[in-house]
Amino acid sequence: MTMNANPNIPDEVRAVAADGTQLRYALMEMAREMDDVIALGRGDPDLDTPPHIVDAAKAAIRDGRTDLTPIQGMDELRAVIAEHMRSVNGLPVGAENVMVTTGGQEGLFLAIQALIDPGDEILVPDPRYTSYDDAIRRAGGTMVSVPTNREDAFNLEAEAVEAAITSASKALLIVTPSNPTAGIVTEDRLRAIADVAIRHNLIVIVDEIYGKIVYEPWQHFSIGSLPGMAERTITLDAFSKAYAMTGWRCGYVAAPADVIDAMARIKQVTTGPVAAVSQWAGLAAISGPQDCVAEYLQIYTDRRAVLLEGLDRMGFAYGEPRGGLFVWADCSSTGIHATELSYLLLNEGRVLIFPGTAFGDAWREYVRITMLEPIDTLREAVERMLPVLERYRV
Amino acid sequence: MQSPQTLSRPLAQRVENLEAPQPPAVMAPTLTASVVDAAVTALDRGETHYTDRPGIPEFRTWVAEHLRERYDVSVDPSEVTITCGSTEARYVCMTLLAPPGSSVLCPGDSARIRGALHLSGARIVDSIEDDVSLLYITPDVYRETSIELLQRAEESDWWIVYDLSFAKTDPPFHPAQNPKLASRVVTIDSLSHHMAGWRLGWMAGSEMALRLRAGKQAITICTTAVSQWAGLEWVRTAT
Repeated sequence: MTMNANPNIPDEVRAVAADGTQLRYALMEMAREMDDVIALGRGDPDLDTPPHIVDAAKAAIRDGRTDLTPIQGMDELRAVIAEHMRSVNGLPVGAENVMVTTGGQEGLFLAIQALIDPGDEILVPDPRYTSYDDAIRRAGGTMVSVPTNREDAFNLEAEAVEAAITSASKALLIVTPSNPTAGIVTEDRLRAIADVAIRHNLIVIVDEIYGKIVYEPWQHFSIGSLPGMAERTITLDAFSKAYAMTGWRCGYVAAPADVIDAMARIKQVTTGPVAAVSQWAGLAAISGPQDCVAEYLQIYTDRRAVLLEGLDRMGFAYGEPRGGLFVWADCSSTGIHATELSYLLLNEGRVLIFPGTAFGDAWREYVRITMLEPIDTLREAVERMLPVLERYRV
Repeated sequence: MQSPQTLSRPLAQRVENLEAPQPPAVMAPTLTASVVDAAVTALDRGETHYTDRPGIPEFRTWVAEHLRERYDVSVDPSEVTITCGSTEARYVCMTLLAPPGSSVLCPGDSARIRGALHLSGARIVDSIEDDVSLLYITPDVYRETSIELLQRAEESDWWIVYDLSFAKTDPPFHPAQNPKLASRVVTIDSLSHHMAGWRLGWMAGSEMALRLRAGKQAITICTTAVSQWAGLEWVRTAT
């Protein structure tokens, strides 16, 4: 169906519509000015950081363990992260292969700065998390899109990756589970992609921040664990999503030691070390009981069922959300451009969602909806959205 | 399997000649009981989520009031961004205000901006040249030098970064007191002397404030929430 080409959207949204990140923030700013908005936009878990993690941070504060740490992160935290990535992800890494970062986003920024020269091409599955665009632009890199599609649940095909490779290709960026699509790149596909990466001497930067939030029967798999991949894989992760710790700004990277050294040199002159209190919290998260991760996953599983039922009632199609905190839904049945639809749902339904155009220019028929509200609130959101859709459906 | 030591391809050229990380300076902060309580109370309140991208409104308001009271400089809280220490503020300013190939005029110690400019591709000069895009000064630069350069700045389109974060002196002088310059002046400061390990700084002012905010967001999204609440208590009670 052809989308409405004349969206009735306000100037402050129209002005930033071409910049995915700014578009999302413009909608969030509008929502902040309104009362009673159900926010299903930003990927900030509504759940609290588990008590044992908060208690560890409080103890560090009270004990005065809040001085500057090494740029790469506290030694004990790096060692525990390395052990975790060996045992859980199968990565052959030691503490010298690990760096603590100010959230996952900084991990990507540092990796791109360390790896990408002007003129280098970096392959990025489409749709993409556009917050990473700035890091690539800043390094002078060029993004080359690799298509994914709903019929394949936004899984990534090795053939599509290989077809996009040129003599300037230096790296492939994978986000699995994906933001925004909630697809995962399955183990069989990752094995095929690894073969392509080795044959073409590609670096693989893989963002696994949602790797602990994968829905049955699917499983997360780390491409860096495959033979021949350790020396060409940069694995990004963070405590933000799995442990509901977005405000602590604490993530980590596993990579060959020379990459970690380069990232540390860059981090020293760009942001400095991660806040000590956040590192103590991270240490408690990764070395403490993991029941909270399973508990939160069950909560998201239940919410996902409610949200998908609501989308069915709206007539939205979607690829199976296999991991992460979002549903990436096809709103083409409404006949309304996704940017306009998002604005209408916010302005008239008081529900904040993000248009697909915030994640790639072509995605005007898609919206991203989070499951980061309690079930009753998600049901309320669906009830608010339905009459707006009926009113404007073309 | 052996842990990987070397990437299969060369690193980016910009990494060459960047200095190796220094061991952390021992700042040994002694936090007051009220700062400790503020941090713990913030955690009890559930301040563990993203904050507003530019920082919590209370802290930004304090920064704006501080600049007005201490230096008679008017900055709106919406023009303030809380950063991960002054390091992040300097990097964001250097990369967004000094295009690659341009010159940054730095009449004093350039050590704190050298790395950021190496990454951005701008160069440091200590005298006026044609392609200057930014003047970086601190309160420690001999005042007559600053005045002379700021007079030249009035006739140019230079951005001005006034970095208070590691100053040994704190005169009431501020370049944004000059109305002809105010829209082009960014003030940087931090709590690095007192709470270095909490990673708190800020950048304030100029007509580029919103772009600077977006530049910070692209790197670290926001500054650690509990650090902001602890820092707010520190500035309210210790300054």
